[in-house]
Parts: sequence; C-alpha cells; structure tokens
Amino acid sequence: MAALIRGLRAGKAFRGLASVAVQAKLSPQCNLVRRGIHRAAVLRLADDFKSNSVSPPSYHEVHTAGESSSSSTQGDFSNTAAGQDYGQPNTSAFCVRSYQDQSGEHDEDYETEEQLQARILTASLDFVPLHGWSVEAIAAGAETLNLSAASTGMFNNGAGDLVFHFIAECNSQLAKTLAEQQNQIQLGQAEPKKTAEFLRDAVDLRLRMLIPYIDTWPQAMSILLLPHNIPDSLKHLSTMVDDIWYYAGDRSTDMNWYTRRAALTGIYNTTELVMVQDSSPDFEETWAFLDNRINDVVNMANTAKQVQATGDAVVQGLMGAAITLKNLTGMNQRR
Amino acid sequence: MQRVTGTAFRHARNCVYVNGVNGSVLSRRYSVLPPARDEEEKAMLDRMLRVDHAGEYGANRIYAGQMAILGRTQTGPLIQHMWDQEKKHLEKFNTILGEERVRPTLLLPLWNISGFLLGACSALLGKEGAMACTVAVEESISEHYNSQIRALMEVDPERYTELLQIIKEFRDDEMEHHDTGLEHDAESVPGYFFLKTFIQAGCKAAIFISQRV
Repeated sequence: MAALIRGLRAGKAFRGLASVAVQAKLSPQCNLVRRGIHRAAVLRLADDFKSNSVSPPSYHEVHTAGESSSSSTQGDFSNTAAGQDYGQPNTSAFCVRSYQDQSGEHDEDYETEEQLQARILTASLDFVPLHGWSVEAIAAGAETLNLSAASTGMFNNGAGDLVFHFIAECNSQLAKTLAEQQNQIQLGQAEPKKTAEFLRDAVDLRLRMLIPYIDTWPQAMSILLLPHNIPDSLKHLSTMVDDIWYYAGDRSTDMNWYTRRAALTGIYNTTELVMVQDSSPDFEETWAFLDNRINDVVNMANTAKQVQATGDAVVQGLMGAAITLKNLTGMNQRR
Repeated sequence: MQRVTGTAFRHARNCVYVNGVNGSVLSRRYSVLPPARDEEEKAMLDRMLRVDHAGEYGANRIYAGQMAILGRTQTGPLIQHMWDQEKKHLEKFNTILGEERVRPTLLLPLWNISGFLLGACSALLGKEGAMACTVAVEESISEHYNSQIRALMEVDPERYTELLQIIKEFRDDEMEHHDTGLEHDAESVPGYFFLKTFIQAGCKAAIFISQRV
C-alpha cells in the first residue's frame, strides 16, 4: 500500500514538472529543449525517489477544483491510477469510454494518438469557461479522464490545438446538420429554402455553437490570429464556408466561386465580431445585424445582375445602330 | 464511350431534377471519382481537375476569338464544330468540379482574355493562322492529357476507370482537332514553326500556373 501511495505521489510530481515544461515552451521548434527538460525532470524524479522527499509543485493546486468536480467519474479508475505514471496513457483502461466519445471504428483496445488527443480536448472544453483557452484547461480535461496533466505535452500548439479542435468539431457538426437537412429535402419531407435564407440559418446555427464559450471567445479569436496559427485558421474558415455554399447548392466553377465565398466569409466574420460585443438577450442584435448583411449581399447581387443586363442591352443596341448606319451609308461590303 | 455519355446525361438530368441541390447520396452514386483515400490523393486529383477545367475553358475562349473573326467565312462551320465539342468538354468538367468540390483556378479571367486574344490574333493571320494556332494548342493539350493518363495509370488504373475514360475520350477529340488543323493547311502559314513554338510555350506556362494557383 505504501508503495502504491509513493507511486501516486511521484506521478503527481512528474505531472507538475512536465506541465511547467510545457508552459515554458514557446514554439514547436523547442521540441529538443523540451525533451531535455523532460529528461531532466525524469532524472530529478529518480533523485526524489531516492531521497523520498516529494513536494508537489504549487502549479498542481490549480487543478484541485477541476479534479473535485470530476471525482465521481474518477472513482472507478482510482485503482489503475498508480499504474499510469509518467504521462503514458493507459489505453486499455479507457477503451470503453473512448467508444462513447468517438463514433469511428477501431480495434478492441487500440486507440491512436489522434483519437486520444481528440478525447482529451473534448473533455477540456468543459474547463474553458473556468481556465480560458489555455494549457490549464487541457490539463484539467486530461485529469477528468484520469490521465496525467503531463499529457498536455502531446499538444505542440497548446491552447491553439484546443481552439482548433473546438472549431473543427463545430464545423463537422454544421456540415452534418446541413447534410441531414438536404437529405430531408430530397426525400420530400422538407421544403427547399431560398439561398439567402439558407445562408442566414447556417451562419446562425454555426454562431450559436459559440454561445457556451462566448465570454472567453475573444481570447480564442486572438489565438486564431497568432501568426503561426493563421494558415490553419484560414483552412478551417474556408472549409466551413465551402461546406455552407456546397449545401446551399452552389456549383459555380467561375469567378463566382471566389466572390460567393468571400462574401460569406465577410458576413461570418463581421457577425462574429458583433456577437462578441453583443449584450442583448439571446443575441438579438447579432441576428438583426446578420439579417441586414445578408440583405446587403442579396441587393448587391441583384444590382450586379441588372447592371450586366443593362450593359448587354446597350451593347446590342449599339451594334444594331452600327449595322444600320453601315447599311445606310452603303459601306456594308457583304451583299 | 456510349456508357460515359449515358452517365453524364443521367447525371445532368438529376441535377436539374433536384434543383441544383445535390445530395451526398446522389453525388456519390454518380460521382466520376472514387471517394478520396487521403489528403494527398485529394490534392492530386484536385490539381488535375483544376488544370483540365482551366484548359478547356481557355480552349473555348480561343475558339470564341477565332469565331469572332472568321465566323462568317467558309471556315466558320469547321471552327464552330470544334468549338461545340470543346463546350461539351467544359460542361463535363464544370459538373465534375462542382460535385467534387474542387476550387477553380483563380486565373480564369486571365485565361478568358488571353485565350480570346490568342484566338482572334491568330485568326487575323487568316484561316491558316487560326489552324496553326489550333494545331499548336491541341497538341499541347493532348500531350497534357496523355501525361495525366500515365500518372493515373501509374497510381491505380482500376480505381480511376471512369475518369480515365473521360480523359481518353477528350484526348481523342483534341487529337482529331489537331489533325483537322493540319489537313487545313496549318503548316502553310509563314513562320509556322515560330508561331507553334511560341503558342506551345504559352500553353505550358498556363498549365504549370493553373495547377498551382
């Protein structure tokens, strides 16, 4: 029993040290440095074992709130806790739970690193209102799964990974909903919407997914705009916009492809900014703003169409006039 | 060949029937491509389809330019016939791009203008000039299609049967245009060799850029 307790304490100490190491890291390029720190931490841990004087770092105190709230779920795993020190995920112990989190098919007790990461990040979302979009939230999430807080070391991009995970989840949720709606329309169970209405509803649906995290969302937006996150941010944004247009029935293969996506991106981003500052009940002002922007785009498209039609008519009229003139002056060569 | 056109037709009718909103079910059933295995394959196919679409678009614009100058001459119907075939090719690629969600190249407006100008300028050299232009362009395009066929065969001929069939059919059409051009005195235009080299260099550059942008 004493050995068990010692093992637990050593695990906690390592957990704290590794978290500090993760926080100290600045970019993925620091992998080597981090590995060095990890190694140093392991060495020190061995020393600690010898002297048997383990002192849990203060950093760990932060998680006590999160841990206590999840203690009920932790209970049945307390026996295995000692066996999974050093941040190594004890996959076999959690395979049952992973099936609930992920619908993908995998082997009996095998879980890829991506799946484990996704599971940790999903659990971390519960702690975002408390800790913000940060490594602390990931650590707290990992602990609810009875994993070491050191598992945050799996995430090279730290808080960025958390935000991207959330966005990817929301986007796939949106795509799934839109696909379902479309299938219903094809089966004749629902009426097809007008494009403007469809776009409005899709953006509305997507923005409503932010409501649970609206207080911390400005922080997430700033993380998304960090230089090293921008390529991925754009990728996720363009995927979402492309999904919406695809299910709206857009099959354009000319410059409209670009203008449509640019317009929708503009609408989404501005509405998101309004939403972050909106304090009206149920974000009424946001939805009013969204309606207005959609109407703007519809008006603009109508105007463009009219201008084009007018232009065509004018050109035709001029051509007709030129031919008439040629005929009148006898300059028409072809008789 | 019969089978391909048949599927294309059914596909087109289906799009109309559901009012442009095509479900995942339908698009899968009539899809030309197999569902992509990974990111890499998707990127490869996207590049191919994008450049093919851009090529057919450019070819259409070249014929439009030639028709603007030579439309009312004796060569008119001949060019019109080739143009109609190119229109079908473009339509096919439009459908595929829409269903496979491939981004069209950003340089379409450039190909629009330069294609039309190339067609019109070559037609201004006379019927032979237009034919020389056709020979040069179609030769480049069929070479390009051949290299795509080779690349697809190398990866997995079974997997891309339908796409290969389409590309082969289009390649044959382009070769036909090439031969038509030669039959109609393309080589008799002064500076034929220079003109051909110049146009083909342009085509190669256009293919290179369209794959990437």
